[in-house]
Amino acid sequence: MPEKNILEMKDITMQFPGVKALDGVNFSLREGEIHSLLGENGAGKSTLIKCLTGVNYMDSGKIFLDGKEIAPSNPGEAIECGISTVFQEVNLCPNLSVAENIFVGRQPMKHGQIDWREINKRASELMSRFHLDIDVTRPLSYYSTAIQQMTSIARAVDIKAKILILDEPTSSLDENEVQLLFNVMRELKAGGMGIIFITHFLDQIYAVSDRMTILRNGHLIGTYNIDELTKFELVTKMVGKDMDVIFNLKRADVAPDSKIMLNAEHIGDGRINDISVTLKKGELIGFAGLLGSGRTETAEMLFGASKIATGEIFLDGEKINLNRPFDAIKVRIAFCPEDRKRDGIIGDLSIRENIMLAVQSRKGFMKPMTRQEQTDLANKYIKLLGIATPDCEKKAGELSGGNQQKVILARWMAAQPKVLILDEPTRGIDIGAKAEIQRLMLEMCGEGVSVIFISSELDEIIRCSNRIVIMRDRAKVAEVDGSSCTQQDILKIIAEGAA
Amino acid sequence: MKNKQTLFNKLTNPKYIMVYATIGIFLIIYAFGAFVYGDKGFTTVRTFVNLFIDNAYFGISAVGMTMVLITGGIDLSVGAVASLTGMFIAYGTSVLGLHPLTCIAAALVMGVSLGLLMGWVIHYLNVPAFITTLTGMFFARGVCSLISRESIDIHHPFFDALASWKIYLMRYADGHWVRIKPIAFINFNVILFLVMIAIGTFILQKTRFGRNIYAIGGNEQSASLMGLPVGRTKVLVYGFNGLCSVLAGISYALYVKSGWNLSLQGGELEVITCAVIGGTLLTGGVGYMIGTLFGVLLKSIIPALITFNGNLLSWWGKIATGLLLLLFICIQRFVVTSSSGRK
Amino acid sequence: MKKKNFDLSGLMQSKVTWAVIAEALILLVCFLIRPDFFSISYQPSTGMLYGSLIDIVNRSAEITIIAMGMTLVIALGGTDLSVGALVAVAGAIALKFLRWDVLTYNTPGDYSVCPYILVLTVPLIVCALMGLFNGFLVAKGGIQPIIATLILMVCGRGVAQILTDGKQFTTGYSPFRIIGQGSFLYLPMPIIITIVVVIAVALFTRRTAFGAFVESVGVNASASRLSGIKADTVILIVFMITGLLSGIAGLIYSSRIMSNDSNNAGLNFEMDAILAVVIGGTNMAGGRFSLAGTVVGSLIIRTIVTFVYYFGIVAEATMAFKALIIAVVIVLQSEPVRKYFAKRATLKAARLGGQAA
Repeated sequence: MPEKNILEMKDITMQFPGVKALDGVNFSLREGEIHSLLGENGAGKSTLIKCLTGVNYMDSGKIFLDGKEIAPSNPGEAIECGISTVFQEVNLCPNLSVAENIFVGRQPMKHGQIDWREINKRASELMSRFHLDIDVTRPLSYYSTAIQQMTSIARAVDIKAKILILDEPTSSLDENEVQLLFNVMRELKAGGMGIIFITHFLDQIYAVSDRMTILRNGHLIGTYNIDELTKFELVTKMVGKDMDVIFNLKRADVAPDSKIMLNAEHIGDGRINDISVTLKKGELIGFAGLLGSGRTETAEMLFGASKIATGEIFLDGEKINLNRPFDAIKVRIAFCPEDRKRDGIIGDLSIRENIMLAVQSRKGFMKPMTRQEQTDLANKYIKLLGIATPDCEKKAGELSGGNQQKVILARWMAAQPKVLILDEPTRGIDIGAKAEIQRLMLEMCGEGVSVIFISSELDEIIRCSNRIVIMRDRAKVAEVDGSSCTQQDILKIIAEGAA
Repeated sequence: MKNKQTLFNKLTNPKYIMVYATIGIFLIIYAFGAFVYGDKGFTTVRTFVNLFIDNAYFGISAVGMTMVLITGGIDLSVGAVASLTGMFIAYGTSVLGLHPLTCIAAALVMGVSLGLLMGWVIHYLNVPAFITTLTGMFFARGVCSLISRESIDIHHPFFDALASWKIYLMRYADGHWVRIKPIAFINFNVILFLVMIAIGTFILQKTRFGRNIYAIGGNEQSASLMGLPVGRTKVLVYGFNGLCSVLAGISYALYVKSGWNLSLQGGELEVITCAVIGGTLLTGGVGYMIGTLFGVLLKSIIPALITFNGNLLSWWGKIATGLLLLLFICIQRFVVTSSSGRK
Repeated sequence: MKKKNFDLSGLMQSKVTWAVIAEALILLVCFLIRPDFFSISYQPSTGMLYGSLIDIVNRSAEITIIAMGMTLVIALGGTDLSVGALVAVAGAIALKFLRWDVLTYNTPGDYSVCPYILVLTVPLIVCALMGLFNGFLVAKGGIQPIIATLILMVCGRGVAQILTDGKQFTTGYSPFRIIGQGSFLYLPMPIIITIVVVIAVALFTRRTAFGAFVESVGVNASASRLSGIKADTVILIVFMITGLLSGIAGLIYSSRIMSNDSNNAGLNFEMDAILAVVIGGTNMAGGRFSLAGTVVGSLIIRTIVTFVYYFGIVAEATMAFKALIIAVVIVLQSEPVRKYFAKRATLKAARLGGQAA
C-alpha cells in the first residue's frame, strides 16, 4: 500500500468563547486508508471536521491536500477541493426526493435541462448498492431515519472525492446495514480514497479501520495503528483518568417492606400495549432494550406526554389520570426526556429560568416566585450538582452537553419528585459527567425517590438498577434482578426475546 | 425490480396532493357555477378567458412570489413595486414625454435592484424577510406618492396599441374561420402570464438554480452543508421576484391604462393568498407553478360567481376567500401530518 | 441587589439601546431644525396640553396598544396579521350599536340607540373571541401563526362590512367622543388609555410568571410542554389579549373619526405594530421580549411621521422617509453590525485597560 499522505492538518487551533476546542492538533490521512477519529464528546472531533470542511474558521493552522495548501471557507469549497462529508445529524432536505438529495447541486444536465431520468436511474443504482430497493422519487421525509442516513452516505460516496468523512454514520443503522456500509467503505478504500471515520462504537473501529487518532479535550493524544492498542488501552487513553471512579458506585438498598410508589397496570396508548410496571419507594428500575423497543413510549405514558388509552396508573395507591405532562408534575412525577436539545433545554433562557420552570409551572403562572427565590433555588442546585457556570444568569444553551443535562436534572430535583423518569440521561456527555449523574441518581434513591432509568448502555443499567425491565419489539419481555444478572443474560433476552 | 417508475407511481407521489386539491376544488366550484349559472353564460369560453384577463397581473406576480415562498421567505413589497412601475410609465409618458419602453427599462432596473438589495439584507444582515420587504414596501409606496398624488392617465400610441392588441378566439364553421360567440379574446397580459408560468416551471423543475430554491426551503442549513450556493440563490430569488413585480405592474398599467400611487394596495396579500391556495407552503420547501396557476384561477372565480349572482355584495368575496384559505390550510395540515408520520 | 457592572459590549449588543439612541437622534434633529418642536402649551378651553411631543404620543396610541399584544405574539415566535382587520370590526360593531336606527333617521345626534355599556363591551368581546379563534388555530390546529391570522386578515374586513351593510355610519354621541378626543389630567384620553394598557400588560407579564412562560414557549415549545407549561393555554391567552387590545384600539380609532370605516380603519396597523416590536428589540424568531422597547419602537414610527408633517415635507412622502429611517435602524440592529460594534467596544476597552496597566 502506498504510504502517501493525501491530507495533512498542522497545528490546528480553534477557540470558542471560553474554551479552546482544538489546541495545536496535527492529523494526517493516507491514500487508501480508513482512519478512525476518537474521543469523548467535546474532545474536538466534530470541530476538527468542521475546520476541514469550511463550516468553522480555524484560528490558526494549515491544511494541505495533496501537498497543496487549502483553506475552504464554506462546505461548497470543500467539496470542490475533493472533500466529501456525511455530517453527524442527517443533513439533507426532507422535501426533496431521495434521488435529488443525492444529486442536488451537481445534477446531470442534458440540453441545458436537468436530466431527471438519469438522476433517478443513477440514484436507484446507488441505493441498490446498499441493498435498498426503494422508490427514489418519493420525498426523503417519507422514509425512515436509516434510509435517510443511507441517502446521505450515498450522496457523499457518489461525489467521488479524494477524502470521505463519515461523522457517526452508523448511529441509526442496524447490523446488516452497517456491514453493507463497511463493504462500500472497503471498496472505496481499495480505489485509493482516504476515509475519516468517527463513531462511538468501539467494535466498529476495530472491524474496519487501519489507523486511529485519539483526541481529548482539544489535544492530540496520539495516532496509532489499529493493532497497537487493545480496547482497554484505547478507552483509557480516551478518558484519560482512572475508570474506577465509576465502578465505585453503590446500588441503592431497598427495604423489602418498602411501599409501592408507582403501579402501572396493562397500560397502552396504541403504539405500545399492555405494559405493567411496579416501582417501590427508593427503588431504581432500569429499562433495557434497543432503540425503538418501547422504552421511551412507556416513559411518556407514565408522564402523561402520551395519553394512555387502556390500563390504569396508581401513584401511592391512588389512581391518577394523566392527560398531559402538567398532570404528572402536579402529582410529583418528573421526566427527563431523551432528546435534550429538542425536549429538554430552553436554550435562550438563563440557567435560573430553566431550573425554576417545573416548580413554577406546577404553581401556575398566577403565583410567581420572586426573583430572589428563583436565584436562591438556582444557586442551590448549581452548587449541589456542580454546574460549571460563572452565575445563574448565563444562557443555558451556551453550556456544554453535560452541564445542560445537569440543569435539566436540577429542574426536576427542584420539583421534588416522588418518581423520576430519566430517559438516556447520560447520552452524549463525557464520562466524568456521566459518573456524576449516576451518583446523583443513586443519591436520590437513597432519599426515597423512585427512579426509572432508561439507557442503551447495559453496563450502567446493571451497575445502578435494583431491577431491570427488558423491552423488545414494543413489549415488556422480562424483568430481572439487578444484582444477579450479567450483561450476557440481558443481551440474550434482547436478542431472542425469551426470559 | 419492485421499484417501478410507472406513470401511476409517479402520479400518486404524495408531493402532488396539494396541487390535486387545488385543481379539484377549482373544478368543483366551476361545476357548481356551471350548474347554477350555466344559463347565464357561466360556462362560455369568454367567462373562462376573462378569469385570465382580469387577474393576469396577480398571476405574474405570483410566479415570483411562489419562488420566494418556497425558499421559506416572504415578499411584502410586490404590490408597491408594481404600483411604482405604473407610476413610472404614467409619469414618464404623460408628463416627461418619454417612450414607454424607456420607462419600462427604468422600472426594471429599479425593481430588480430593489429586490436584489432586499435579498442581500435578508441573507447577509440576517434581518427577517418580513421586516425587510415591509420596509421595501413603505419605500416604494412613498416614492409613488413623491412622483404624484393623483392618478395619471397613460396616453401613448405604442402603449395604447399594446393594451388593445388581442387575438380573437376562432372556430371553424361552414368552411371558414369565424369568431366564437360570445366573443372571446386573449391579450398581451394573458400571454405574458402564461409565458411567466412556463418560465417559472422551467426554472423550478429544470435548472439547478430552481432545485437549490427547494433545497433551501427544505432546510437552509443542510443546503449550505451540501455545498449549495445559499446566499447567491436567495439574493437572486428576490431579484427575480422584483422582476415579476415590475412585469405585474406593466400588466396592471395595460389593464387600467393609468398609474395611481395607491393602486394595488394590499395586493401583496392577494398574491400570497393565490400561492397558498395553490398549494405553496409558507414554511417553505413545497410549491408548484401549476398549483399557483390554479390558485390564481380559484381565487378569481369567486368574484366571477358573485358577479353572476348579481344580488350578493362584493365583500362576500373576502369572506369566501378567507374560508377557502381556512380549508386549504386544514388540508395542508392534514397532508403534512399524514406524510411525515410514516416511519 | 448586586451592583451591576457597566458592561459596554453588552449594552452595544442590546437592540433596545439602539432604539433609544435612534429616537433621541430623530428628536435632536427635530430640535435643531425647529427649536419650538419641544414646546408644550396649555389650552384652557379644552383642558388639554398641546405640542408636538404630546401629539406624537397621542397619535401613537393605537399602534402602541396593539403592539403590546403583538410583542407577546412575536415572543411566541409568531405574528398576528389580523389586528388591522379587528380594528375595523370593533369600529363597525360600536357604530352599529350607536346607530342601529340609521335606516330610519339619517342625522347623527348626541344619542345612542343601545345602552352605552353594550357599545363598549360587545366590540371588545367580539375582538377577544376573534383573537381566541386565531389562538385556537395556532394552539390546537398546529398552524403557523402567520397563516392562521391571514384568514381573519382577509375576511375580517368583509365581516365588518356585512355588519354595517357596507355603509359608513357617523355619530355625535358625546360619551363616545371622550374615548378618542376627551382628556384626563390635562392629557388626551388615548394617552391615558395607552398608559393603563402598557402598565396592565407589564404587570400581567412581569409580576406573574406569564412572561417567563411566553418566552419559554417561544424558545422551545416542546421542552416547555414537557416541563409542565400548558403551552396551548399560553398561546390562547396571548392571541386573545391581542384581539382584545385590537378592539380597544378600534374604539379609539372610531371615536377619533366618530364613524366607522371598514376599508381604511386599521389599514396597515399590523405592519406598523410588527415594526414597532422589532425595532424595540424583540426577535422575530421568538424568545425574550421587551415591552419598553416596543413602546420606544412605536414612538419612533410616529415621530418620523410627525416629523415629516411638521416640517412641511409632502405628506405622502412620509412612507419613503419612514422606510429610510427604519432601514437605518434595522441595519444598525442587525446581528452582524451589532457584533461588529460590540467587538470594537471590547477591543477599545481592552486597549484602555492595557494603557492603564
